[in-house]
Amino acid sequence: MIDSAQPAAGEFLLDVRRLSISAVTGGERRAITVGTDLRVAKGETVGIVGESGSGKSMTAKAIVRLLPANVSASGEVHFGGRDLLALTERELREIRGSRISLLFQDPFTMLNPLLKCGMHIEEVLPRTPVLRTGRQRMAEVQRRLAEVGITDADVAHRLPFQLSGGMGQRVALAAALARDPELLIADEPSTALDVTTQAEILKLLARVQGQRGMSMILITHDLRLAFSSCDRVYVLYAGSLLEVGGAGEIEREPFHPYTLGLLLSEPPAAKRVPRLVAIRGSVASADAVAGSCSFAPRCDWARESCRSARPPLAETEPGRFTACIRQGEIRAEMQAMRRRAFENGAAAAMVASADTAPLVRVTGVGKIFEGRRGRHVHALKEASIEIHPGESVGLVGESGSGKTTLGRCVVGLETPSAGAIEIGGITAADYAALSPAQRAQVRRTVQMVFQDPYSTLNPRHSVRRCLLEALRMAGGTAPTDEQVVALLREVGLPETYIGRRPAALSGGERQRVAIARALAVRPKILVCDEPVSSLDVSVQAQILNLFKRLQEQLGLSYLFITHDLAVVRQVAERVYVLYLGEIVEHGATEEVMTRPQHPYTRRLLESIPHSAAAGAP
Amino acid sequence: MSVPIDLSALPSARVAASGRRGTSLLIHAAVFIVGLVVICAALGPAIAPGSPDTQRLLVGDALPSAEFWAGTDLLGRDVLSRTIVGARTALVGPIIVAAGAFAIATLLGLLAGYLGGLVDTVVMRWVDFMFALPGPLVAIVVVGVVGGGYWTAVAVLVALFVPADTRIVRSAVLAQRPLPYIEAARTLGISKARILFVHILPNVLPIVCAYVVLDFAFALVNLAGLSFLGLGVQPGTADWGRMLFENRNILFSNPVALLLPALMIILTAGSINLIGDWVYERFSAQ
Repeated sequence: MIDSAQPAAGEFLLDVRRLSISAVTGGERRAITVGTDLRVAKGETVGIVGESGSGKSMTAKAIVRLLPANVSASGEVHFGGRDLLALTERELREIRGSRISLLFQDPFTMLNPLLKCGMHIEEVLPRTPVLRTGRQRMAEVQRRLAEVGITDADVAHRLPFQLSGGMGQRVALAAALARDPELLIADEPSTALDVTTQAEILKLLARVQGQRGMSMILITHDLRLAFSSCDRVYVLYAGSLLEVGGAGEIEREPFHPYTLGLLLSEPPAAKRVPRLVAIRGSVASADAVAGSCSFAPRCDWARESCRSARPPLAETEPGRFTACIRQGEIRAEMQAMRRRAFENGAAAAMVASADTAPLVRVTGVGKIFEGRRGRHVHALKEASIEIHPGESVGLVGESGSGKTTLGRCVVGLETPSAGAIEIGGITAADYAALSPAQRAQVRRTVQMVFQDPYSTLNPRHSVRRCLLEALRMAGGTAPTDEQVVALLREVGLPETYIGRRPAALSGGERQRVAIARALAVRPKILVCDEPVSSLDVSVQAQILNLFKRLQEQLGLSYLFITHDLAVVRQVAERVYVLYLGEIVEHGATEEVMTRPQHPYTRRLLESIPHSAAAGAP
Repeated sequence: MSVPIDLSALPSARVAASGRRGTSLLIHAAVFIVGLVVICAALGPAIAPGSPDTQRLLVGDALPSAEFWAGTDLLGRDVLSRTIVGARTALVGPIIVAAGAFAIATLLGLLAGYLGGLVDTVVMRWVDFMFALPGPLVAIVVVGVVGGGYWTAVAVLVALFVPADTRIVRSAVLAQRPLPYIEAARTLGISKARILFVHILPNVLPIVCAYVVLDFAFALVNLAGLSFLGLGVQPGTADWGRMLFENRNILFSNPVALLLPALMIILTAGSINLIGDWVYERFSAQ
């Protein structure tokens, strides 16, 4: 890696100027990015950080001209002295894949499912005299696989579906590197992977990049990750660059309110804070904020001057650019805000008194799924948990750990194969065996919030219809619009939302409606299955704060299922760590996260991205 | 130097774009043809230039003339009027087949897909069994043995069309079932019937409707085929399939008497197929 200082002009391998991307849908032109400038020096790692709709992935695709048919780009993309946008498709093919290579989020959509892993690498190896015979090429494939940390010679002969996610991503990386590119564009290369695998892949990328002296563009939504693995960072929001600078410098002191907001809304893994600092509203589209600062609608410091014209990216310090025209004026305020958030102190976790009877008691629950060809899959083995009234319990594990299965057993979406579940004194392992009255009572005790905000609401039902239906299940009198409005207020939505359809809501708003739906029956406990992991970082903090507020106001209990330890630290008082269907560790969150006992818990904690200046104001 | 890349200038993009424009023209033509057939079916005798049943044995089979634009058949009946009036049997039967198959298949598919287990097994094995039968042959045998002509043929076609539609409804239901909004409804304790008809049905309806349109086209061709074999409408009825059968011997004296109804069957079925495809594409794009 090179020094984070700005390299002198002329050293840039890639020089993107005024790159504007727009899409045409239904005869309407819609801006995706407006005039992005981006430079990558030889051997440098540059991060493009942005939330959904920021245009970060489209920027990467525009550089190599792999845009979808209805999307077009204008501007200049200079690479090795040539403007890629001006080349013919044939000329471009000499560069794409051999000098610039791409790595995407999901390895299994990148790899041909019918092609053995070795073949993916072999087919892109250059046809040089040294690599003429089949034996020579196979030896080279093995050497390439070894470079990405695959020493098992058998992997080359396996099909992609026989690999784990991390292994698949390694093979995809080896294939991307087969032509020895000068620039690798990695688009969320670790997002689809498990937490522990994520860290391995990022470490691998950094190692390979360093050894080869290759340049890299890392596209991510995760600011923390960008700080820990990039030299310079570009912060993109709603199609415009808001801040550019060295990773260390931005982390030490962000110059743009958006960057600061992103940084603060990221739940800290190191301690529990009483409230996260959330950015209000939701991510805007590039067109909605055209002709003004794109962040102005969500910015606390926005003035008239911010809304009258789009502020240009200006160099305020050597190598540091910000699009905030008020940066000079508000610098002290921003620093103070950061300091306040940092000094916000660790909030003491509420500890439920152990003498109350548990609300939910899960004892020795196991779940066996019928797999293919009569094979049994043990999703869950002898798991036991307890949740007391008013207590928030975290359930942490990676994919395949059985955490979701356990949550679904509690709400009756799955029936356990073994063990007992007791909810509010009613034995509820098998919901179908309950009497209708008992079943109704259990359902009024436990409700669930799901992960995907886009399918959690019936697309054909309005907010009113959705919540009225849920209120009707609470029993009693016929529900009224007033009750619906009260529910909306409870989850922080204005009453004007009552007539909206899900399509007119953002991801965060949909999740709020889903929470309102669950609250309609006045439950005592919510089972939340990764409720924030599909949301933008700036919205995550809002929803986590909402969960905290509801817990205080309504005395709710939570079973919070997540892979994200930082999230658990913020919301859970006690935590259970699940590994391969078994609970390997449990205890108070603070205790488990500061003094992990089980090696798996330690590995989970170590995989949280750390940068040099972790958490320092 | 700024070089905008206009992807529509690339050859492949241009083909795709012009292909799309071509499709929309075809759709307009298809809608026009179907509209024309619907008008004929609705108004029938009122807009036909003459009576479809008046026999002119002295005229016999004659080529198109100023009096009879499409000529006459062996019995001297006006071919054009018969074709216009024949639109009614060409539409009514297929509509009943499509609607009947839709209603039964939706019910079976919803139950099989959502309830699973024994219901699913029974329904789907019956579907497999029906698929194993040679459809047209069954129709011929049943109508031939039972008799009853047109309406029996319609009933048999309903039974033959249900299995394929059931499979489609079931797979659409299976795709909705694991979605969180359905699971949330289950967690709230909402009744199965309500989940099926209020939550799932409206979300699978678009795709089912698209298939029903295709059913209509198949039914049209099948019914015309049965009428041609003498198993559909009563002899003498103005019906396109029946006209093919009756006029096959006068191909050389008045080819229009044979070709006009044949063309109408092809055009109507083809147009409906196009519309069905278009509807399906529109819905699956959403």
